[in-house]
This record gives sequence, C-alpha cells and structure tokens, in this order.
Amino acid sequence: MKQPIDNIWIGQKDLEQDIDFLKEATQEVSPSALTTGEMTEHLSGNRRDFLKFLGFGLGAATVAAGCDIPVKRAIPYVVKPEEIVPGVANYYASTFVNGGDYCSILVKTREGRPIKIEGNDLSPVTRGGTSARAQAAVLSLYDTHRISGPKLKSDKGWNDTSWEDLDKMVMTTIQSSSNIRIISNTNMSPSSNKSLADFTAKYPNAKVVTYDPVSYSAVLEANSLNFGKKALPSYHFDKANVIVSFNADFLGTWISPIEFAGDYIKNRKIDDVTKAKMSRHIQVESHMSLTGSNADNRILVKPSEQGVAIAALYNSIVGGSMSTSGLNDKAKKSLTKIAEELKAAQGAALVVSSSNVVAEQLMVNAINNALGSYGSTINMGVTSQQAQGNDADFAALVSEMKSGSVDMVIIMNANPVYDAPMASAFTEAFGKVKNKLSFNTTVDETTDKCDIIAPNHHFLESWGDVEVKQGYYTLIQPTIAPLFNTRQAELSLLKWAESASVDFVNPQPYYEYVKNNWKNTVFANQNAVSSFTTFWDSCVHDGVFNTGSVSSASFTSVNIPADYTKPSGKELEISFYETVQLGNGQYAGNPWLMEMPDPVNRTNWGNYLAVPVNFDGVSKMVGFQNLKDGELVELSIGDSKYTVPVIQQFGQMPGTVAIALGYGRTHAGITGQNVGINVNNDLTYVNGYRQNYSSNVAVSTKIGKEKDFSCVQYHHTIGVKAVDTESGKEINADEAALVFFDYFTGAKGFQGALTDRSVVYTAHVNDLKNSIEGLTKKRKHAQHLNEQQIYAGFDHNYKLGHHWGMHVDLNACIGCGACTVACMAENNVPVVGKHEVAIHHEMAWLRIDRYYYGDIESPNTIYQPMMCQHCDNAPCENVCPVNASNHSSEGLNQMAYNRCIGTRYCANNCPYKVRRFNWLDYTTADIFPGNQPKLADENIPFGADNLTRMVLNPDVTVRSRGVIEKCSFCVQRIQEGKLAAKVEGRELMDADVKTACQTSCPTGAITFGDMNNKKDMLSSKLESPLNYIALEEINVRSSVTYTMKVNNRDSALDA
Amino acid sequence: MYKRNIKSQTSSTMMYKHLKFSLYLAIFSLITISSARAQVSPDAGKELFKSYCAACHAKDMRSAATGPALGGSQQRWGDDAALYAWIRNSQALIADGHPRAVELWNQYKPTVMTAFPNLTDDEIGSMMAYINGVYDGTYGAAPVAAGEEAKGPVEKKSNLPMYVIIAVILAALALLLTKIILNLRHIVAAKEGEDYEKKTLWQIMSSKGVVTFLIFSAVILGSYTTVNNATNLGRQEGYAPDQPIKFSHETHAGLHKIDCQYCHDSARKSKHSSIPGANTCMNCHKAIKVGSKYGTAEITKIFASIGYDPTTNLYVENYESKTEEEIKAIYTKWMGDQYKVSKELADLDKEGVKLVEKQWKDIVKSLTNEQKKNIQGPIEWTRIHNLPDHVYFNHAQHVTVGKVECQTCHGPVETMEVLAQASPLSMGWCINCHRQTEVKFLDNPYYADYARYHEELASGKRSKVTVADIGGLECQKCHY
Repeated sequence: MKQPIDNIWIGQKDLEQDIDFLKEATQEVSPSALTTGEMTEHLSGNRRDFLKFLGFGLGAATVAAGCDIPVKRAIPYVVKPEEIVPGVANYYASTFVNGGDYCSILVKTREGRPIKIEGNDLSPVTRGGTSARAQAAVLSLYDTHRISGPKLKSDKGWNDTSWEDLDKMVMTTIQSSSNIRIISNTNMSPSSNKSLADFTAKYPNAKVVTYDPVSYSAVLEANSLNFGKKALPSYHFDKANVIVSFNADFLGTWISPIEFAGDYIKNRKIDDVTKAKMSRHIQVESHMSLTGSNADNRILVKPSEQGVAIAALYNSIVGGSMSTSGLNDKAKKSLTKIAEELKAAQGAALVVSSSNVVAEQLMVNAINNALGSYGSTINMGVTSQQAQGNDADFAALVSEMKSGSVDMVIIMNANPVYDAPMASAFTEAFGKVKNKLSFNTTVDETTDKCDIIAPNHHFLESWGDVEVKQGYYTLIQPTIAPLFNTRQAELSLLKWAESASVDFVNPQPYYEYVKNNWKNTVFANQNAVSSFTTFWDSCVHDGVFNTGSVSSASFTSVNIPADYTKPSGKELEISFYETVQLGNGQYAGNPWLMEMPDPVNRTNWGNYLAVPVNFDGVSKMVGFQNLKDGELVELSIGDSKYTVPVIQQFGQMPGTVAIALGYGRTHAGITGQNVGINVNNDLTYVNGYRQNYSSNVAVSTKIGKEKDFSCVQYHHTIGVKAVDTESGKEINADEAALVFFDYFTGAKGFQGALTDRSVVYTAHVNDLKNSIEGLTKKRKHAQHLNEQQIYAGFDHNYKLGHHWGMHVDLNACIGCGACTVACMAENNVPVVGKHEVAIHHEMAWLRIDRYYYGDIESPNTIYQPMMCQHCDNAPCENVCPVNASNHSSEGLNQMAYNRCIGTRYCANNCPYKVRRFNWLDYTTADIFPGNQPKLADENIPFGADNLTRMVLNPDVTVRSRGVIEKCSFCVQRIQEGKLAAKVEGRELMDADVKTACQTSCPTGAITFGDMNNKKDMLSSKLESPLNYIALEEINVRSSVTYTMKVNNRDSALDA
Repeated sequence: MYKRNIKSQTSSTMMYKHLKFSLYLAIFSLITISSARAQVSPDAGKELFKSYCAACHAKDMRSAATGPALGGSQQRWGDDAALYAWIRNSQALIADGHPRAVELWNQYKPTVMTAFPNLTDDEIGSMMAYINGVYDGTYGAAPVAAGEEAKGPVEKKSNLPMYVIIAVILAALALLLTKIILNLRHIVAAKEGEDYEKKTLWQIMSSKGVVTFLIFSAVILGSYTTVNNATNLGRQEGYAPDQPIKFSHETHAGLHKIDCQYCHDSARKSKHSSIPGANTCMNCHKAIKVGSKYGTAEITKIFASIGYDPTTNLYVENYESKTEEEIKAIYTKWMGDQYKVSKELADLDKEGVKLVEKQWKDIVKSLTNEQKKNIQGPIEWTRIHNLPDHVYFNHAQHVTVGKVECQTCHGPVETMEVLAQASPLSMGWCINCHRQTEVKFLDNPYYADYARYHEELASGKRSKVTVADIGGLECQKCHY
C-alpha cells in the first residue's frame, strides 16, 4: 500500500520512533557502545587503581623527561633534481585505469612520493572529475601486501627468485607449451595490446581471452549485430531530456560513471530559477541503486521481469507484439505512459540497460533507433573501449582448460578464481593447467593458485597509455621509482617474445616502446603538430590527446529473438549488484574504500542483504519477515547457504532482495579478506551470458544478530523529531539534553526545543515558485534571529580580508562519495575498522547524509554532504575549557589539536554533529618511534606501518589519541593559495584555493571561495534563491550554503 | 648525543639581568666612545684580514694554504716598505727583481697574489698588527673587543650568591625569632608556675606543623620545577651539535659573503629552506679544493659523497658501484698529495701516512652510519632547527613575502664557526614577532582585500599594519 507523506526521513527507525535510536540521537556517543563490549573492561578501576596509574604516569613522565632529545637528521640530495623543491608539490598528468575503470588524473607528489590524486581538467571525458576508486588508488601503491619481487611456488610456499632465473624458466615453459592462454580484464591500452600482439605473433599457439568482473557481453553482441561494431557507443546524458534506465547504474558503476555523472547533471542543475528546466529520469529496477536513488521516478520490476519490461517499452515505441506476460500491472501502465513521453522527446531521449541478454539489448537498440537517439544522445561513431569482455570466449576457455589441452595460463590484471563467471568451474579447470603465471601485484585468489609470479608495477610506477574512446588518448607516466622489485607486465611479455623492437638494455625499455608506438600511430594520425618531440612533450605534460577521429556507423535492423528473459513467477528473487566502492571485489584490499559507506544503504565493512520494508498503513514499518537491521539470516541461493546480516532498504521491491558483489574475498590482505560473503558463484547463466540475479532463493527468519553492525545511517543524525513521553509534545531529539527540571515540583520535561528544523528542503520543478516563496519566508524568520550575535563586533572583522564559505548544490550531488575519500586522503583521516564504526567511532570529516522523502514505498533521495559548517556563532567554541576550538578572523572554525584535552564538550554541542574524537590511537602518533610495534609480530593499526605512512600529507598533522578533529575547510590549501597570491604579488583568485572535496567532485556540486570577493564563483552561486543554510533558525551563522533539492517526479506514474 | 640544556629563570631575575645588562652596555659604550680611536688596531686588522686575506692565507698564521703562512712575514721581509709594496702589487715587485719577491714567486708560481692597491698604510699596519698578534699569541688574550665581550660575563653571571645571602639572613632571623618566642613562652610558663617541658629537636622536627610545611614546600617547589621544565621540553636554544663536515658559516657567509639563498635556495619558494645538495657545493669546490681552515679532509668529504676525483678533476664513473677500497684509493691519494705539497716532500713520510689514514677514517665516520653503510650518497647533517610536528612554518612566507632577514631568526650566522640555534623557536617568541612586525602592506597588491586598513592608513588613523592585525596570532595560521 502506498502512503505518500510530505515528510523527510532518515530511515525506518526514524519513522517508527525507535526508542534506542532516539536515545542515540540525543547523545553524541552511542550509549549502547559504552555499556557493552570490551570498552568497559578498560574503563573499570577503583580509587587505588587510579592512584597507581597516577603514580606510574608521573614516574614515566619523569623518566621520559630525563631522556635526551633524539638527534634528527637533515638529509639533502646528492644531486638535487631540478624539478624538485623540497616542500613544494609537483603534479604529473597520468591515468587511473583498472579494467574498464578510467579517470584522467593529476598525481600530486611531494619529495617524489605520490600522495593525492586530482582530476585532470584537460580531459574531455572525465573533465577534472574523479571517483572514489580513483581517489583511493594512491593508497593501493603503498599496500603492504604488494608482492615484493618475482616468486616461484614450492611445497613450502613462495620462494624468491631473480628475474633472470624466472625469464629462463618461463622461456622454457613457453617454448614447450602447445597452448598458451592469457586471461585479462578489459585492456584499453594500445601499447599493451601491441605487446600482446607481439607476443601472440611470436607464439601463435597463444591466445588472449578477455572477460570482465561485471559482464557487458550482450551489449557488445547486440551492437555488433546492429552496427557491425563489437563496441560500446558514447552516451551523452547531457543531450537527453528523458532518460530511461533499465537497471543501469550509470552514475555509480555502469561503463563510465564519472563521465556520465558530469553529463547527466548538466540537465539537472538549476542555474536560473525563472527558466527552470530539468530532464526526467526514470529508473526501472528492483534494488535501489545509486542511479535509482537519483531518479525522479522508479518503476519497480523483479530482476526476471526486466526482459518483459523492455519488451513492453519496445512494443509501445517501435511497435511489435513481443510477449509481456508476467510483467506487473503497475509497471506495464507506467511504461506505456513513459513511451509517450519518450516519443515526445524524439531526438532528446535516451534508453539504457544493463541487461546481459542479447535479445533485450537488441530491443533497447531498436527503441533508441526509433527515438532518434543515434546521432544525438548516443554516438556510435566514437566507440568506447571500456568493456571488452566476452562471456562466450571465456566459457570456451573453461572447457578447453577442463579438457587439459591448455599447458600454460598467464593472468594479466584479472582475478578469475574470485570474480569470473562460474568461478568454481573455472577454479576446477584452472587446476588442470600445468603452468600458471600471474602478473598481479598482490597475492589474490588467482595468484595464490599460480606457480609463478612475475609482479607488475603499480600504475603509478609505470609508463603506459589508454584509449578510452576512439581517438581519446591519455598517457600513464610514473610518479615514483618502483617500490619493489617488480617489472612492467608488458615488458615481461616482450622479453619472453624476444621482441626485436625493444632495447632491453635501455633503462626504461617500455617507455621507449610506448613512445615509438605513439610515434607510429597517434602522432602519425594527426596533423596539428609536426615535430614528434613537441607532440610527445605536450602529451606527457597534458596527459591527454584527442585525434577527433570518428568512424561511420549505421543502424541495421535485425530480427529480435524471442529468447529474452521471461518472469520466473517465483515469490522471491535476488539481484546481485556491483558497489561504487568495491566494484566486483577489485578494490576490496583498499582500506579507504572498505570504510567508505555505501552511498545508498550506508553500510561498510561487509555486504548486507537488502530486504524490502513496507508501511503498514498506520504507524509501523513492516520489515520483510519481521527482520530488522543487523539481524542475521540464512540466505540460500540454489545449493549455497550463507549467513548474512540484513539491512532494511526503502525502495526495494517487495518480493525481491539484493546483495552486493565484491565481498567475501579470501585473499585480499588484512583489509579485504573474509569481510562479507562471496556470491559470485551463484550468478546464473542464460544462453552463456552471465546474469546478475537468481530466482532460486530463500531467506530464513532471524537466526541471530550481527556482532558489529557497521551502518552509519543512524550515526550523527540531525533534525530528528521525537515525541516527549512525559508531555506528549513533539520535540527535537537532538536537544533532549536540554531537559527542564523543576526543583520544587519535581516536574521534568523538555525546554521548548525548536522542531521544525531546516535540514533539507525539497521542491518540484513545476512548483518551484511556491517552494521558493515558502523557503524565503522561513529564512526571513530565521534571519531575524540571526541578527543576534554572541561574538559582537566580529562582523566588522569578517568583512576585512577573506571570509571563507562554501556552497553545496544538492541538485548536483549524486552521492557518489568521491569527496569523502578525497577528504580522507588530503587530511590524513584514519581508517578505524568495523568494530569501531559499529560503535559510532568512524573518523570521516565529511559524510554524505542520506534522506528519503515523498512516497514511502518508492521514495526520492537527497544526498547532503555534511562537514564542519564553520559557524560564525559557533556553539562548539564557547564550551571549550581550554580554547582549543576558536574562530579566525577569516571565519574559520579553528581546531588546535595540541591544545585539545579531549573533554568532547564541543562535539556534544555541535548541532551538525561533525566533530570526531580519536577514541583510540588510530595512527600510532602517540607512540615513541622506538616503541613502534614490529610489523610481523604484533597487530598495528591500519596505516601505521612505514610503507602506508608514505601516503600521508606532510602539511597536515597526524592526530593522536584523545583529541577532537573535524573539517578544516582544507586550511592547508587556503594557506598555500594565499601564499601563492602573495608571492606573485596579486589578489587572490578563484583557482588559488580549492578544497579536496571540491576538486574531486565529478559534477561540480561543491564550490569553495572567499565570500568577500564579489568576482568569485562562490558569490554568483550564493545569489540563487534556492539557497538555504542548514539549521539557520538556531542562529549559529554557518558558512556553508545548500540548495533546495528539486525533482521532476511524474506523479502520474505513482498512481 | 646532545643533552638538553635546561634553564629555569623567573621573570624577575630575567628583568634584573636585563637591567644589569643595559647598565653594563651603557658603561662599555661610554668607554668605547671616550677612548681615542687608534690609527692602527689589530681589531680593524682582523676585519681587513677576513675580507682580503683569509681566502688564501690560513687563519692560524702558521700553516700554508693557497698562499704561505703569514706569521713572521714582517721578520722574513725585514723591510716594511717592500712588504707593503708586495701586498699592493706583488707582480710589480717581482718584475722589479726584489730578491724576496722573486724567491716567493719561484716557490708559488703560477699562483698570483691578488693586488690590493687601495689599501692604506694604516690598514696594512693594522693587518700586520693582527697577524703578529695571532702569531705570537698576544691577540685575543687581552680583552679587546668591548662590544663582543660585554655580553658574555653579564649573561653568565649568576644571582645565586645574593639569594643565598638573603636566604641565610632570613633563616637566621627566623631562628632568632623562634628562639625568642620559645624563651618568652618558657618565661611565661615559669611565671605561671606551669611545668614547661622543653621539646627535643627531633620532637620539633617531626611535629605536625613542620612536616606539613615541608611537604607543602616540596609540592610547590616540585610543581614549579616541573612546569618550568615542561615548558622548556624540546626547546634547544644554543644547540650546536657536531656536524659530519666542519662547515663554517663564518667562512662562507661572513668572509666570502655568499648569499644565504645561494645555497638555501628553496627558502624563497618553499616551506623548507633546505640544505643544499652536494652538487651545489661543487659549483665552487670544483675550484677550491683545499680549505682555508681545515685543509683537505673536510672538502674531500664532499668529493667522497658525490664521487668527484680532485686529482683528475673528473667525476668518477659508476661511482655508486665502487667498493670502499676503491673509493679509499682515490681520496687517500689526493690527501696524500696535498700533504706532500704542503710539506714539500717527494714521498709521504710516516707522519703523513698516519695523518691521511686518520683523515680517511674521519671521512668514513662522517659519511656512514647505522642506516647508511655506503660512503657514496647524501651527507647526513644533524638538524639544528627542529619544530614540533604540529607546527607549520613556511620560509617563503617570511623570506619572500615578509622580506624578513635570515638573521632575524637564525642569529648572526655569518659569524658562527659552528652553527648554533640562536632563537628559542618557542611559540611565545613567534607570537611576539608577529605582534611587532609590520606587514609589507602597501607594496603587495594581495593586501588590497584589506580595504579598511588601507583607508585607515591613508587617513592617518592607523600608523602600521602588523602581522597580528591580519590574523597572524590565530591558531590555524601555524597549526593544522
């Protein structure tokens, strides 16, 4: 039953007024976290213990004070490289690439070590945007689990060997092999592909087999049938006024999310309210994906109904009588209506689908053709290389290996034992191969089963190139000398192929190889530059080069087979989805990504079974089988049984559940292994194409409770309403601490805390005028309060010099989380682990709050990046007993770590709940260098080893235990920008200061700047009537401005 | 290992010292002014020597460097006029055929002594006075330089004796008063007819009052010392550790007037001033291969670090892969040759072998340590100016934007033979400077944002804008 409400809610606990949740919302620290678990044991003790500790502490301090100051060394260069100035960062253009994941980047290096990834503005594909995965890539360079050099397997494990010995051995093996297979994920590098071609030319019995952890085989096949090109087209979401996506998560994981997000948002931002226009986005899916959560309308269909849903649209648009039996009525009705809208938007419509069934993709192509999308919103003339995997080739390889005809397999950037289609069948067949060699950089599931490791460089140590789309080239250049005794995989292949075109004596043979390849291909195909040296230098400098080549493509109609998926008719179905953080497990070893909460369900450190949640029509939310968040169930898919925790998911279609891929890895370092469950084996097959769902599923009732439920959705909540049990009045749970107590009568209650809090505002694009009026009225009232100041006379100061401020466009924010990882990287924010997250101890300075609004069964979503608001009337400052938190004349809420004594009064008094306390020594910053635990023997916190510490930003203090920290508006960047202006003797400009979150954003949702500078980009953004300040009525005078969230929901589809 | 130098001073003693210091200074300056300015003075000679001679002549006046030892030269020449003429233009004198001049020329050619035609007789006289003074040991023994010497004794003089005297007087007074009180009590008791029992010393000492007093004073004193020492923890003003190379800032920055930022070039563009790489040293030391102060051994350390063979004047090929023995062969040969030249020997004598061996050992010791086993590679200096990790300091801000002289914080580096930390580098010290220092406000268009200050400056309402006025005292200017 549908229950439209105007309310905005956080989750079902909020709607249900869950007692425990309200209790938590009233306090800065979760009470449950303090009363149970290991913490209490540490905290117990009596007066005598206290005296003992005091005595010991004093004694230890005395001894420590008597020690000599350690001698510190200052080590200069022997021959200082001209380009390095110690203390000044250098940026190098490069490319982040992993399979089909792509981002053109700038790598920030300090004293020769890469410490941060920024987007490359010059790239026409990613346009300076990044993703969480790209941001986190720098950490994987310093992974302690990277393989240190060439290794051979023996009975006792891995033995080190030398490259010479390995080469000799591999050469003998190759020469005696009759069938060699190279297994790789999508490879977009022209030079790498050339080296593979060189290898297969030398050894004709070698063949490259490509597959992808998430398959795009059917799209490729359909395009091959319709266009004669086995490739993906370029999609232009910016040119589409109506977008229909069948389960394609194009903002999060599908093909090229950074590019698509940037395009998509151009039609979603509202720059001029008088001419407000917005595209309409309709998502057809069962599980709430990141893209679905950003959609205006969602049409719920079961995973097995996707085929008939596409067929229904096909029938309405192209015309035809494809069978649609089994499609639910509501979806059928909605799709018919959408078909009209799509037709009306002829030439500006776009239909995409993630389906892996050829017939379905053929229908989608036919629909797009009928809508005139080709040539407008889809460009088949510039093909994308971002998915090349072929399910059929891979299946053939498995049977080949099974028959024993393959002597040697070379694994090149792939982990098929974990993520291949039919992983268990593959593993079994793989065991029959005599010689198995891996180029992978860590001992993952596949490498573990190999006999030889010839470890590749990390991409930040390598030369290379990428052709992401036809004619769109980027270069990869090394930003650090190889940390380990590794070798470029392509170079290994060339060496074994005894390539004559490579000078192996050259110190950088692969560099020469790439350069020569460019000279013969990219350079030869352009006319703009005549000198190759000039051409090459500018390519290395910019990182990008576009030839602008376009090939012709015309649509050929083909008969659509009737073998598309038909509804299973089963009561329960499960879908498997790739996450923004981990993909299909490729990034599971990366702690930043592991700790990044999933944008939609906001869980981290594990995959949770998303179960639907219904409204009973009165006051209660009814969970699927009465299951609640964090309860364990037994999940049976086919013959496999798993124990998983559940999470109640709004917008999850009744009769369906969903679980993320990419977890449950067995070989992924201390971070990734044995976190969550691996369901790759349960993926089904239709006609040899891998399907991300199963109809053979059962979920038990509650069988237990998860020990550490790491979901951050109910942590640090703001604006939660509750009903006071004593008085029956509605109050604000945040301020339950403001209890009223009368000593004479003994009466208790809440002091009239304001309830109608401005946290987020929503509007419909057609009703914008009224919504703005309402907002203006509300703000006027709040601003009346704002005339009062607790620090009188300071306005005078803020007008002088700079006054820093930020604008966050909630219409542009898609919740992808790139900013949260960028913030961790920039500000040395520690990773705390599952247990600590479960007890509200996550340290992220920037979180993305998720709110639902509208239809309770299929709600719309708001993502609100929430960080320190740098209030000019900051309530945290005046409660600090030691003045560790105070205000600067530039409007910054300053946190002096060294003054902080950890009373946490500030965190308790912060209305936005953005202050984080170092409960434990997460970084080992407290430990004397001599006492640091040894790597092998003791567990040290993540990131405290010397290798991982290389990623730290040397301009930001590493915080120790017992101090509060929070967003500083990237003060180190502010100071750097100011200094640059001063040194050059000019006024500060927009581009001088950009925060880490701002530069990472693929959609430009965040703008930072000087509010006093009227020429600033920020100032123009601050003029929008959609702007509001969160919690403006409490008169804290925050420096962060948000915009009202506007949607373009078609209420006719809700009926 | 360097031991912390903990000082505890109360503000009153500081003030007292300050007063006293000013007094001394006043007296000494009076003396300096009143004393007739001598035409020929060894002090003036010292300055002249530093600027004109020290590049080629050894400072100790006894050993030969590029030029001969100057000690006793007046005696050797025997004729002041000829000597003066030689100093002003040696080549002219050689051409005239002065026997001593020809003798020296034969000995040192083709090295030509720089001509100093502008030197007056008085100036040369001063230099000779200084040279003779150093040579016979009379210079420096008597208190000469008033200004320099004045600081020393004043600062080191302790106020302890005065405190001891006061303490003794007070203690005696207290004792006397106690005695009187006791006696009076005794008398009263006797008068009243009460039985007065005289307490033993032990009873008095172990009485509640005394014990409480002692504990109380111990706690107060203890806390006071703890707080004082804690404040000074990590501060190391005056820290002057031994460095791997006896690098003399006095010679480089003082005598040769090399600009600080020639070597510390990143100070103008980076947060670090950074220690120059060995390749920067080589810009000059390719030509200057023997030091004026320490001879061959110290400069050879640079050669051994970077792999330069001073005998052939070429960089050694594949230096990284050379063994210690091979490296030793290169540099002991060089040092041996230099020894032979200085001693005018054809072969190394026993002493020479020993000296070279000793110098080599010193080179190895200086260029290697527990972590760094090879002689090749960077010279690991001991860092003197250490700021805590939570302090952000940017040289470019101060040097380029603020136009602050290096000496403001680093002290008179150009006079330091061994570099020492001149300032406490404490937060109070930073803050004080930020309060007093004027911002280069009108010169830099960056500050146009501070419109109100510009108006106030124009209208005369404000005389200057200090760093503190534009937020230079705020936490997050230095801590983030």
